[in-house]
Amino acid sequence: MNITKAGYHGILLPNLNIGFDYSGTDTQHTFISHAHADHMPRNRKSSVYCTSNTLKLMRRRGYKGEATVLDFEEPFETENARITLYPAGHILGSAMVYVESEEGSVLYTGDYRTPPSPATEGFAIPHQVDHFITEATFSLPIYRWDSHEELGNEIREFAQKTLADNYTPVFLAYNLGKAQEVMHFLSPLNHPVQIHGAGYKMCDVYEEAGIDLGTYATYNRGTCAGNILITTNSALNNGFASNVKKKRIAYCSGWASREATRSQLTVHKLIPLSDHLDFFELIRLCERLEPQKVHITHTPNADVVQHYLDTRNINSRFLDLESEEDD
Amino acid sequence: MATDSFQKLTETAQAIKETRSTNTKIAICADYFRSIPEDENLRRAAQFLGEGAFSDLSGKRASVGSRTYSTCAANFCEIDYEKVFKPCKTALGSASEAIEKLMQNIDVARRKRSPSQLSLKQVEEQYHKLSQLSSRADKQEVLQNCWKKMTALEIKYFIRIMSRGSLRIGFETKSVVSALSKAFKKKLENVRYAHMITGSIGNTAVLCKNNSLDQASFKLFHPLSFMLASPIESRSIENLDPYIAEEKFDGMRAQGHVKGEQVELYSRDLNDITHSFPEIVQFFTSRNLPALVLDGEICVYKDDEILPFQLLQKRMGRKKPSQEVIQKYPVLFIAYDVLYHGKQPTFGHPLAKRRELLVTLSKKYSLPITNQFNVETHAHVEELFERALAHGNEGLMLKKKESTYEYGQRRKSWLKVKRPGGTLDTVLMYAHAGSGRRGGYYSDFTLGIRVAEDERYEEEFIPIGKAYGGYTDEEMKRLNKKIKDLTVEKYGPTLGLIPEIVVELEFDDIQVNKRTKANYTLRLPRFKAIRWDLAPTDANTLKDVERMYQQKIDRDRLKQKENPSFVFHQ
Repeated sequence: MNITKAGYHGILLPNLNIGFDYSGTDTQHTFISHAHADHMPRNRKSSVYCTSNTLKLMRRRGYKGEATVLDFEEPFETENARITLYPAGHILGSAMVYVESEEGSVLYTGDYRTPPSPATEGFAIPHQVDHFITEATFSLPIYRWDSHEELGNEIREFAQKTLADNYTPVFLAYNLGKAQEVMHFLSPLNHPVQIHGAGYKMCDVYEEAGIDLGTYATYNRGTCAGNILITTNSALNNGFASNVKKKRIAYCSGWASREATRSQLTVHKLIPLSDHLDFFELIRLCERLEPQKVHITHTPNADVVQHYLDTRNINSRFLDLESEEDD
Repeated sequence: MATDSFQKLTETAQAIKETRSTNTKIAICADYFRSIPEDENLRRAAQFLGEGAFSDLSGKRASVGSRTYSTCAANFCEIDYEKVFKPCKTALGSASEAIEKLMQNIDVARRKRSPSQLSLKQVEEQYHKLSQLSSRADKQEVLQNCWKKMTALEIKYFIRIMSRGSLRIGFETKSVVSALSKAFKKKLENVRYAHMITGSIGNTAVLCKNNSLDQASFKLFHPLSFMLASPIESRSIENLDPYIAEEKFDGMRAQGHVKGEQVELYSRDLNDITHSFPEIVQFFTSRNLPALVLDGEICVYKDDEILPFQLLQKRMGRKKPSQEVIQKYPVLFIAYDVLYHGKQPTFGHPLAKRRELLVTLSKKYSLPITNQFNVETHAHVEELFERALAHGNEGLMLKKKESTYEYGQRRKSWLKVKRPGGTLDTVLMYAHAGSGRRGGYYSDFTLGIRVAEDERYEEEFIPIGKAYGGYTDEEMKRLNKKIKDLTVEKYGPTLGLIPEIVVELEFDDIQVNKRTKANYTLRLPRFKAIRWDLAPTDANTLKDVERMYQQKIDRDRLKQKENPSFVFHQ
């Protein structure tokens, strides 16, 4: 099976004329895993395949090209391959692309999370995979996540304690995916939420998909004090809620598991809530799938994963892609 | 949980870390101190949080290097040190944090441990044991056994306390002093005084608890922490009235304790340096002095000239200098402050009063002391500054007349006026992963000068210094992006780069250092500007460096006859 990278953006199966998260228009079939900027097509002439939720989110983020919607686990046939999308548990709409052909099978993960984020369609995986193309964003044994139940409690406790002390809680969370996941965790509190405009415009897609985001409105500087606020770090640095003096800030990201983050961002609370799987899940998954070959992408530490896979007699290689940190 | 458990201490440290307000941090620590009933345990708790495994003055060290505990942890977790541990450490910018996470995450490491709530006393015994052992293997055995009884959190702080580095909880010794003051309702100034005098935060804690801070008294031949100067931020002090000026010597800061025949000299890091300077000892003993503590500078002084620091280096670190060296580089102790006289500490007096005493002593016993100048106008400051440079000195000190001797502190009562030693255009050769706040970035850089046309070398560039400051966060991020494309080699946390980026490097001084490839090192190198406009061929050469050094050594120095920088009535 010939698997190549397409410059800094996307992966190609040239023999099958298939592209993954690819911006070019020269492949016959291009599949988009999810609506984060480093995976979305950057070309208005693109014609791609993706899930319906991914398409809705991409449209909200300005995608102007064409798209054909596929359902999860409903195979789609091309001349020489059968393609099936599997839910990736990363953000709403996120899909892994499974390709079966005479040359063998390929699973392209895009970004994924198992156990899946509760604000997604879940996580499922095919049984037989020859070539496993996996991201490995958190590919060191220093990364091991707490359960979503524990993380949800942490989020709710921080909000409740902060409100009880008469402060305004602010959650720093990426505006697509993490923001809505945090809102979903907060919904049982029944406390009004205000979210930065860039995240706000994604929210109704989540609600249409049946994910409860509680009571929320778009950020309003004049009335935001006393609400639970959701925004990104860069917006916070550019004056978001700067009129609210009594506020406490929590940063929700896999990177929050590092002590250095505390001083780099000057936040009150670090909540290591990631939309990527941790190192141990990754190794476990490789063991379970027993692919012919693991192709590792999106990581500064492919060597470490390879070292672990070597000791388990699993063949692997590093597919070097430019990764953008949007976690 | 028992108040004397190490786990309790580490949980307190963690709570302090997770709090941002300084007052709340102090309150958490104060509550903890108050909760400990026994004197000995309070001493241990304060010492661990404020000083490390042993009190500063005990001279004891656990002496466990980062490689020793890191390889030990890798073995404990059954992971490969080079292939797994090192990338983890680089990603976090901290070996101790990496160890905490690995101990927590890796199943086999968890199974080996059954935390058993070690007491502060037991932990202190482990540190003591480590200080008694010399081989790496023996030390690692103690570590392994100790870690088996600890939580991951305990292990992290056990290492940080052992290494005498910062606990990295945003709470340094100063804050521990404040917490003691709050816990036992004692005046902050009194606690700080007792700490300075006893040289032990643990003993200070016990004195606080037992209402006996007044028992802490200054003892001769126990060094005091030095008062430090801040760089003057801009030349424009609104009002010069409260200040006097002194020349800032280019020597070695030292504290002299004298009583009759007995003399001891201490360096700025409170080490005993008496044996390196026998002629100073002789000088003091010959004068039949009363009990005295002087703060001052050791300089090479010959033929009426103060000679450059580079020559003083020939005297530093030598346990027993030869007669030849002593004659070639004779030194003088020039005093500028008096901290103790007769039976009384004087550091609580204002500078003007201490100066009066110093002048009297200088006349009576013929001791060299700095010349002090009243400064009225900025033009006058400028003139004195230029003269100090002409004398071969570093610059000027401005000191507040009303200030007490603020031991161990760097505040605004003393200001230093300096001019950078020079700048060089250098090339970025290596980038090193940062730690602490800069974890996850490449923040330290090795810079090189050109030797392409130098027949002594085969390389094109050789290192001249390592800089880790002087750039903005934005510049560092831009550099980090750029570095990605220039990386040719990777050695653990270090990247080898194609020489392309030119950095204008500012430094305080050039020194000879035979252990480096260039034979020279820069003192305090820092970024002045990233010269995106220059090419590596524009970089300065080793010959330029040699020329700059020689100019410094050969520079004409104004003799001390007229307008001297110090007074010496022989």
